[in-house]
Order: sequence, then structure tokens, then C-alpha cells
Amino acid sequence: MIENGPLLERLLEGEFICAVTDEHSFHKLQNEELVNDLNHFLRPLNRRVANNDDGSVFFLAYCDLTQNARQHLSHQFTSTVQSLLPMLEWMQLVQEALGRDGALNAGDTIKLQDFESKVVDNQSLIHRLAHLANDRVFKSTSDKPDMQIKQVFKRIKDMGYLYQPHKDRLFYIVTGKVEQLIELVRFIKDEENLPIDDATPEQEAMF
Amino acid sequence: MSQAPKQKSPAQSNPLFELGKERLELIGKHADALMQGYLEGDVNELAFSQQALQKLLDSRVLFYPQEQSLRLRPIVNELIASLTQDERKRQINTDVGEHLDQIDTRVQSLQGARKKGDYAASEHHMQLLTERVNDMTGQFGDAIESLWHRLNTEFGFVSSLDDKILEIELAQRQLRRILDGFGIINFDDLIQLAGSDGALRKLLVSQLQARISEHSGSLLEVQKRLVLLMARFRQQQDRALLINRMSAFLRQHPNFQIGDYPNRSQVPAVINQAHGISPQAFIALDRAQDSYALAELARAVPREPEQNLQSETQTEGFVMAVQNLVATQQKQLAKDVEDFFIQVIESPQALSGVDYLAEQGLPWEPEMWLFQIVAEYQGLPEQNKHSFMLEKDSAQQSRFNQLHIIQDVTVGMRFFGDFQAAG
Repeated sequence: MIENGPLLERLLEGEFICAVTDEHSFHKLQNEELVNDLNHFLRPLNRRVANNDDGSVFFLAYCDLTQNARQHLSHQFTSTVQSLLPMLEWMQLVQEALGRDGALNAGDTIKLQDFESKVVDNQSLIHRLAHLANDRVFKSTSDKPDMQIKQVFKRIKDMGYLYQPHKDRLFYIVTGKVEQLIELVRFIKDEENLPIDDATPEQEAMF
Repeated sequence: MSQAPKQKSPAQSNPLFELGKERLELIGKHADALMQGYLEGDVNELAFSQQALQKLLDSRVLFYPQEQSLRLRPIVNELIASLTQDERKRQINTDVGEHLDQIDTRVQSLQGARKKGDYAASEHHMQLLTERVNDMTGQFGDAIESLWHRLNTEFGFVSSLDDKILEIELAQRQLRRILDGFGIINFDDLIQLAGSDGALRKLLVSQLQARISEHSGSLLEVQKRLVLLMARFRQQQDRALLINRMSAFLRQHPNFQIGDYPNRSQVPAVINQAHGISPQAFIALDRAQDSYALAELARAVPREPEQNLQSETQTEGFVMAVQNLVATQQKQLAKDVEDFFIQVIESPQALSGVDYLAEQGLPWEPEMWLFQIVAEYQGLPEQNKHSFMLEKDSAQQSRFNQLHIIQDVTVGMRFFGDFQAAG
């Protein structure tokens, strides 16, 4: 158990462990026995190791939904929902700017320089970036695209959706936490019965 | 043709050799215009002279399909596609039935020639038969290679996800057709066809079987990968659609209120994420076994002022070092004098400073030593001073001044002195 101290600590700090952020720990957490041991330890803290639907990311969840826990969840949920549209718009922006086929996935690498050069080549992308950077989630005050991009990516990194392997090199890897976000989007769509399954085909063709 | 070989090999003496070479050279000569035509669909007539155009048409490289614009013949298109692994245009052609029919005919011609004892003819038929078999397996090989190539580039020759999915569906149909082709090959028939002829048996049965089973294994792998890739593409498509539609919805409904899931009786798993707590710990001194480690840590803490001091010693160089040395010597001297006084206390009679110095073998100069003893004596508190008796053994140096040089000091306990005096 001693050797799992650092992993436990990171989980307790609220980190999401996936193959991108910490491959070694991620593989360790595949072991059910270990997860049971960790859960045993975490029980008094009202926490347990949880993972998303496809098992691509691990994090801590509450065991009992006490008043206190619910308060925290409320707070967190509100801020996630607030950042939902900006996050989705950011994902679309990256996908389009880099000319990717599909949506961003965990493990995708984004080179800031590539992204920037694609964005500044296109007036509409510059416009969308500026709009996005001004959102209260990203709070960029600069009107220069390169600064806006830096700020946006830094914020998203802080939120845990991006991982920067080298501090001084400007490339990022999408983390497994994005999967969790997509699951949330799917959940909201289903649960709220949003009429978006039969969206107009023009919208689909746009992308 | 530019350099006629001195001796023509049998192949070169074949009239086909010259013609084929001429045609291949013709293609090479107009490579630019032909490639342009390959990529654009139409071949530009104006790129050729009238004569050259006619030659290309006669050589069956170009043609006018139904009075339309000039185009490459399908076979040339296919040749280029195959040479450049251009998956957009590469065709997978695996008509096994045709091949099998031809093989059958060739074997019969071969056997006929053998019966007649015509070795030249049977040799020729054997060569054609080998080519035919190689053609067939080669075609399978090409088709499978083409499938692999598509897979490995993840159908990069089409850009949109929808097109990729269509391409996978196409590849799956092609794969099925190849497998069907394998099914047509009936080895029992081939064994019968080969009869007792060892060479034929080898060609038609053992070699062919080895190649086919190799291809089957490869196809199986392709099939698996296609299914996986399809699942991935579908998932990506689904995801991109979800993101696009959700963001469009949220943009259109800026005041959309999401349910209060955290306070429902059943909290959905997807939002159950515990908030972070940072486990902190501090230095505790209540466990003896930790003291060493903690002391180590304390020592490892960089101390600013000391660093400054050190840098000062460094800048001041040896002056400081000498001062330090003197200070330590001074301390040692004072300590030795102290020991001397202790000895005095323990000793029943007064001691001579110079004698003590010699007895103990101390490294001090007598003058310095005596001075220190006197200084120590003078430095004693008044009360303690009375306990000691200090006699200076001095002599006047000269009659003309008052300079006295102390030769020795004798220190004793006053108590003893009194006692002895009383005694």
C-alpha cells in the first residue's frame, strides 16, 4: 500500500488519472484488487475510486451523498455546465482549424504553433477564437490571437482537459477527462430530452 | 534500340519485345501529359503533336470514349494506380473463375503436348501455366496489399468521415469477394488435374495452397481491423455530431436550465466527482526516531545569512582564514592556562609556570605563556583572586629604566600558603 501513496494523494487532490496523464498509475488502477484496497482506505473519507463508462479515466467519487457532498457536487456541476459551451466550441474550433476528421479524442496531440498558424490564416476562425477567448471561462483580455490561444489553452490545462508534457514546449495532449465531459453531454442530452437528435441536416453539413 | 545488343537472347528475338519496349518508351516520353490526364480525368489534346497523338491512340494508351474528350485507357489508369498505390483509383480485380478456366485449358494443352512428345511445346505451356498461376495469386496479393494500404493510411485518400465510412463498406465488400474467390478454388479438382505429374502437383497444389492459406490469414486480420476501424469512425462521427448539435443547441438557448442533478435522490454517476483535498503534514518532534531525519532536513535547508558570511570569507581570502587560526590558537592557550590553574588547586605547593610548561610539553613560547597566566590571574573575579598567590620572579633589566622582565611566575593557593605559614 505504501507504494501507492503518491497515487492516492493525486486522486485525493482531485486529479483525473488516465493513460495520458499517468500511464503507469492508470495501468495499476486496472487491477480490481488494488482498487478495493484503495477504496477500503478511502472509506472514512467518504470517497471511492470511480471510472467513466469506457474505463478510460479514473477519479474519486463520493460514497455517501451527504449534504456536504451534495453541496460540493452542486458547485462543481454548476461550474462544469458553465464551461460546457465554451469547451464544446473550443473542441469544434480545434477540430476545424486542424482539419481533423472527427472530434477531439483523449490522446490527440495539439501543437499550439500549428493551431495558431491555421487560425490566423482564416478570418472566421480568428473571429471565433476572439469570441471564445472573451468568454468568462477563459477571460482573455488580449486582442492578439497568439495571446488568446495561450490563455485559452492554459485555462483548459488548468481544468484538466489538456496535459502539457514539457513545461517549456507548447504542445498539449488531450486527457481522458474529455471523455468524461462527452459523457456528461450525452447524459444531459438524453436526460433533458433535448431535441437535437433530429437537428437540421444543414447544420450537420456545416461541419 | 539505340544500342543493339550483340547477342540477342531468346526473349529479345521475340517480335513482341521490340513493340512492347516501344510502347513503354512512348508512355515514358509523354509521362507529364499522361499523368496530368490521370489526375484531371481528361487528357489535353493540345499537349501532343498531331503525330504523337495518333501514335498514342494507335498504341492503345489513349482513346476517345464515345466521342467524348480524350482519356487514358482504363488499363493505363489501372497501371498508374497500381504503381503509385493510389487507392482512389486502384481496382481490386479477383475474378477467380476465369483464371481457373484458363489453368484447366493450359494443363490440357500441356498434357497433349507431352503425349506427342513435343518437349518445346510442353515447355512453353508449362511456362504459360506457371505465369497464370502466379497471376492469380499475385492478384490476390495485390488486392490484399491494397486493402492493407487503405487500412494503414486509415483511408486518408478521402477527407470526410462519411466518405471513410463508405470506403470501409466498399473494402468489406471487396474482401468478401476475395474470400468467395478462395472458395471457388477446389483443391480436389486441382489434385486430379495435376495427376501424377510432380511438377504440376507442386505448382497447382502445394504452392498454391500455401499461398492461399497465407492470404486467408492476412485477410482475416484485415477483416478484424476493418471492423475495429469502422467502429472507431462511427464513434467519432457520433461524437462530432453530438458536440456540434449540443453546442448549437446551447447557443440557441442561452437561458437553458439544466436539472439540479446533484440534489436528486439518485445522483447520476457521471456527475459524482469528489472535490479535491490536499493532504498536508508538518514537522513533528514527538518521535525520537524521526529526530535524525528531521535534523538532516533542517541542515539541508539553505540558510541565507550563512551563505552571505561564507561569501564574505571567500572574498576576504586568507586574511580571514589567518584570523580564524589565531582565534583557535588563542582559545587553546587559554584552555591550557586554565588547566594550569586547576593543577595549582590540586597541587599541595605552589607551581612554577615555566616548569609546568616544560613538564607538559606545551608548544607555547614561555613569554606568551607567562603573560597568559598573569592575564588569567588578573582576569579572575576579586574574590577568587584572593584564593591564589602569584609571585612574579622578575629582574630589573637595566639600572637606567624601570623595565622588569618576568622570568617566571609561581602560583599557589593562598589557603595553603597561610596554612603552611601557620604550620
